[in-house]
Amino acid sequence: MLLQFKDIDTHYGDLHVLKQVNYSIEAGEIVALLGGNASGKSTTMKTIMGVVRPTRGSVIFDGRPIEKLPTAERVRRGIAPVLEARRLFPRMTVFENLEMGAYLRKRGAEFNQDLDRVYTLFPRVKERRTQIAGTLSGGEQQMVAMGRALMARPRLLCMDEPSMGLSPIYVEQVFDIIQEINRQGTTIFMVEQNANMALSVAHRAYVLQTGQVVLSGGAAELRRNPMIREAYLGEMQVTP
Amino acid sequence: MSPAGLVSALSQISPARRRQGLTGLVLIAALLFPVLHANDADIDSMANAAAYATLALGLNIVVGFAGLLDLGYAAFFAIGAYTYGILSSYQLMPPWGAFWEPLQTLGLVARMPGESGGADVVHFTLSFWLALPFSAAVAALFGVVFGAPTLRLKGDYLAIVTLGFGEIVPIVVRNCSGLTGGAAGLNGVAPPRIDGFSFGVSATPYYYVAIAMVALLIFVSGRLRDSRIGRAWMAIREDEIAAAAMGINRTQFKLLAFSIGAAFGGMTGVFYVAKLQTATPEMFGFPVSVMILVMIVFGGIGSVWGVVLGAFILQLLQSWWLQDMTQWLHAAGRLVGNAWLQRIDLVPSIELIFGIILVAMMLFRRQGLIPAVRPQAALSMDQQQAAVRRGGFSGLTLAGIGGLSHHAMALEIRGITVRFGGLTALNEVSLVVPQGSVVAVIGPNGSGKSTLFNTITGLVAADGGSVIFHDEDITRLPPHAILARGIARTFQNLRLFPNLTVMENALIGQHARLRTGVFAAIFRPRWSRVEEVTARSRAMQIFAIFGNRLTPRVGQMVAGLSYANRRRIEIARALASQPTLLLLDEPTAGMNPAETLELAEQVKSLNQLGLTVLLIEHKLDVVTTLADTVYVLDHGEVIAQGSPADVRKDEAVLVAYLGRNAQAAVAGMAGA
Amino acid sequence: MTTFDLLLQQTINGLSLGAMYALLALGFTLVYGILELINFSHFNVFMVGSFVGLWTLQSFGLSGQDVILTGLPLAGVLLVAFAVTMLATGALGVAIERLCLRPLRDVKGPAAMITTIGVSYILFNVILLSVGADQKNYPNPLPTVRFQLAGAVLDLRVILIWIVALALMAGLWLFVQRSRLGKAMRATAQDPEAARMMGVDVDRVIVIAFFAGSALAGAGGLIFGLYYNYTSFLIGFTTGLRAFTAAVLGGIGSVPGAMAGGVIIGMIEAMSGQFIATAWTDVIIFSILVLVLVFRPTGLFGRLAPVKS
Repeated sequence: MLLQFKDIDTHYGDLHVLKQVNYSIEAGEIVALLGGNASGKSTTMKTIMGVVRPTRGSVIFDGRPIEKLPTAERVRRGIAPVLEARRLFPRMTVFENLEMGAYLRKRGAEFNQDLDRVYTLFPRVKERRTQIAGTLSGGEQQMVAMGRALMARPRLLCMDEPSMGLSPIYVEQVFDIIQEINRQGTTIFMVEQNANMALSVAHRAYVLQTGQVVLSGGAAELRRNPMIREAYLGEMQVTP
Repeated sequence: MSPAGLVSALSQISPARRRQGLTGLVLIAALLFPVLHANDADIDSMANAAAYATLALGLNIVVGFAGLLDLGYAAFFAIGAYTYGILSSYQLMPPWGAFWEPLQTLGLVARMPGESGGADVVHFTLSFWLALPFSAAVAALFGVVFGAPTLRLKGDYLAIVTLGFGEIVPIVVRNCSGLTGGAAGLNGVAPPRIDGFSFGVSATPYYYVAIAMVALLIFVSGRLRDSRIGRAWMAIREDEIAAAAMGINRTQFKLLAFSIGAAFGGMTGVFYVAKLQTATPEMFGFPVSVMILVMIVFGGIGSVWGVVLGAFILQLLQSWWLQDMTQWLHAAGRLVGNAWLQRIDLVPSIELIFGIILVAMMLFRRQGLIPAVRPQAALSMDQQQAAVRRGGFSGLTLAGIGGLSHHAMALEIRGITVRFGGLTALNEVSLVVPQGSVVAVIGPNGSGKSTLFNTITGLVAADGGSVIFHDEDITRLPPHAILARGIARTFQNLRLFPNLTVMENALIGQHARLRTGVFAAIFRPRWSRVEEVTARSRAMQIFAIFGNRLTPRVGQMVAGLSYANRRRIEIARALASQPTLLLLDEPTAGMNPAETLELAEQVKSLNQLGLTVLLIEHKLDVVTTLADTVYVLDHGEVIAQGSPADVRKDEAVLVAYLGRNAQAAVAGMAGA
Repeated sequence: MTTFDLLLQQTINGLSLGAMYALLALGFTLVYGILELINFSHFNVFMVGSFVGLWTLQSFGLSGQDVILTGLPLAGVLLVAFAVTMLATGALGVAIERLCLRPLRDVKGPAAMITTIGVSYILFNVILLSVGADQKNYPNPLPTVRFQLAGAVLDLRVILIWIVALALMAGLWLFVQRSRLGKAMRATAQDPEAARMMGVDVDRVIVIAFFAGSALAGAGGLIFGLYYNYTSFLIGFTTGLRAFTAAVLGGIGSVPGAMAGGVIIGMIEAMSGQFIATAWTDVIIFSILVLVLVFRPTGLFGRLAPVKS
């Protein structure tokens, strides 16, 4: 198991956001985290990256607990984020953004390999590598954001709402690339509101509603499960 | 009486009475001081200290109450000083003309022979007592002039700009030496006179004037702080956006704080220059502004007595104690035979001490010596253990919480478009909210729901389209004007005023419905007192909607309450403004199912009383219970509308929520 | 001298002043770009720097114009003076950040800025109390070499100042644009949370920004002493507000903005002193500050607008 959430509780002040949440992600998988507004998806991502610390429970990466480690250490151990709404460094060039993804790594053969890999996956990014990141379109920025994360050569790629704010054409492209990245060996944990697209590429998925996991299982079976709609529309009766 | 008996007797007296007693004692001590301690130099120091106390009180209104950092406050001190100085000295002597005769009759000017027997000239003889309010007014005017273009700047930048003004004024004074005497100082300022008695050289009459000023300004500060005005300032300080949304005209109130602070400073300037009988630009530079800032930081920003104490301590430190301390160090040096100790002089190090105080206070005790506390009432054991009661609406009329309206349509939104840079947040969005109905707006994350609320309430400007409320186009109105017309809102991420009490938050909600202004706040005429009492009881009525959850906590600071209670307070605050249309932005976020159900029922009851509600909500069961009509937003556009039942079955809605494409999957889901 | 000569002379003066203001403004803007903090103590760090430079030069036995050096010894002495000054002020800046500002990093409101006012006062008064209020003569080991440029005079000293300032600015530019830490600094200024997620140690970046900014201030202080031949405890305040105006005019948070703003303010000061009156220079500069903040808060190149939303 590459990543595990064990009985995680998180709070913002006295607001209980994640309630006794358990996930497990095996190496090589694509796992989707689905749910409607305010379900706790973003908080999950923040907990993995270390922006939020859990009040209870443990986050275990590659067999070792990481919930008390600073963000930089988690990146060093192989977790890289693709942030919600991209969050590229707007006044730096595309290339510099990619470089920042590899901030903790040394320049050299491996860096160049990864750069080539990113350029191959995202030809548009290569074209625009000297352009200022803030001037790119949303879809192009998403490519750069994914490339930036890949530059960290992560074992686990955490994607926060990759389809948010993108036009349908780009959404298709992005999910195709997600599958390709996974085929090349990277495990992907993806928070996504667009359940359909997510389930069409993921192996497994969890469904969150107000901070609790209400459904989980293989992607194919979940797609057939009518309860997903209820969970999304906030109608599922959950025992408190 | 034994000591124990005395202590127990004292503790029986209520805190309010104790405060009054203490105030009385301080006043008596102040009045008797020159009698008991007839050292003229010391009385002079105390008079100076009192003058600085009034300056500290003035800056306290600007920085402490309204949260506006002013680093150039001494400019107003200078303006007041030079206004009196010029108008009561031989500095300015224009040639005599008929124009001046009426003023001569009023005693404001005198006619004098010109130099070397030339034509007659005007000698300004503005009396000290008239100058006090007059210079205060002049300083206040400059406060408006400086403030109007600059008060919208962010805190740090406002500080720099005020610093700039604070520097410009003394430089202008120094350069316009014809008018002001320049660096050499004013020439011959007249001392105050009462009934022909001129104040002369003794410090004692000045001392009493200063004490009177301090007492007056303490009184005024306290009255303002505890009034609608003070609450508005504190709301601005705590959260400007929420303050605007609750009906406070920010520009007006910021200017008010700035100019009242300026007036205090100008008044003190008159006193100071009358006492010294001259003024030089050095007396009003940046170091003076900083010293006053140190006084209020040390004493307690926002605390009336705190800043007075801070001013006295620091001023007396300079006048008395540093010299004494220097003597002690010299004596100690002689004792241990240390030459450095014997030579050290602490007096010039006062500014170093100021710097250390600033840093130390910010790092270790930001609230100052006497913190500005909001009155807190702890819950009694009974109240803490009481079972939660849900409350009800008995006795609550719509007139209590909102007005009735004859318009058929409460709100109409026509083709609203909002763009942020390259992103279109709302695209030609139209919806109607019929009077007396509940309309819900739902949609996935990022669909524009909160932007819609922000546009309606004037926090965000629309790039196209219009918002019509009760047949009036309110699209371009500022937030406080929209509140005044009857639209109140809550915020998705809660924007309460954290350092104010529950009751104060609700009273601020009523800001636009109350009439108490500066004069009413200070003098408390009967109608103003009645208004305040009525406002409080109206707030209590609204709190009663929520049973015993809020009522026992009305005296507590909002920051310490539970999340669900804070949500309720925000709704109570909005209701307090007597809206006809209530905008609720995800009111049940973070609540458990039981709390959600309860709140939904409360909203339903409010609606049944006649309140129109526009609701953003993502819990569809809440929407189904409450809403007559539902609009679904996605990517800034309305993709569906209708009754809750219709909308739930709408394919477009499903797609919006669950994602595009994979038609088969959608069909599968919808059909199963 | 003809008007043209005067203009030329004042242009030369303006550029020298501008170089100094640019260095000061740069240091200030580096910190603001990341922390959005107005660091009042920056300008008294500059003043302390001028004294450290003074003492370093004096330790070489230099005093006034008694000792003139040329060639390698001159270069050596100046190099050491700049190095020592910049290291000392850099360290001072780091100390200020760690002791006084880091504890307040998460406190909202003006607390941090007020603290920098306090620190500024402390520096100011420590120097005043230690060395006294009188102006100190600065050693000037440079040979008096002058060049005629039409009707204006170009001093060797001035050329030195330009070279040093340009070298430092170029160095900073390269650092910020090309080096790993420099890019980390830019990234942190643009999005601190995203930078943290790339593994950037934001605390360390802040320390570096303070070190670099304060070192530049120190260099500026040494330049002040060499240019004016004196220093005193007062120079921080007077020069500081001009440099601050330069930073705001150029666009707060922008490196090219600080450089441009510095030159512009330097030119204005020189021209105003010549063609209007020195007494009014301060008023003019403060008025520029106020006008920029009121009408064009982003300045010439900036992006951070100091206006409430």
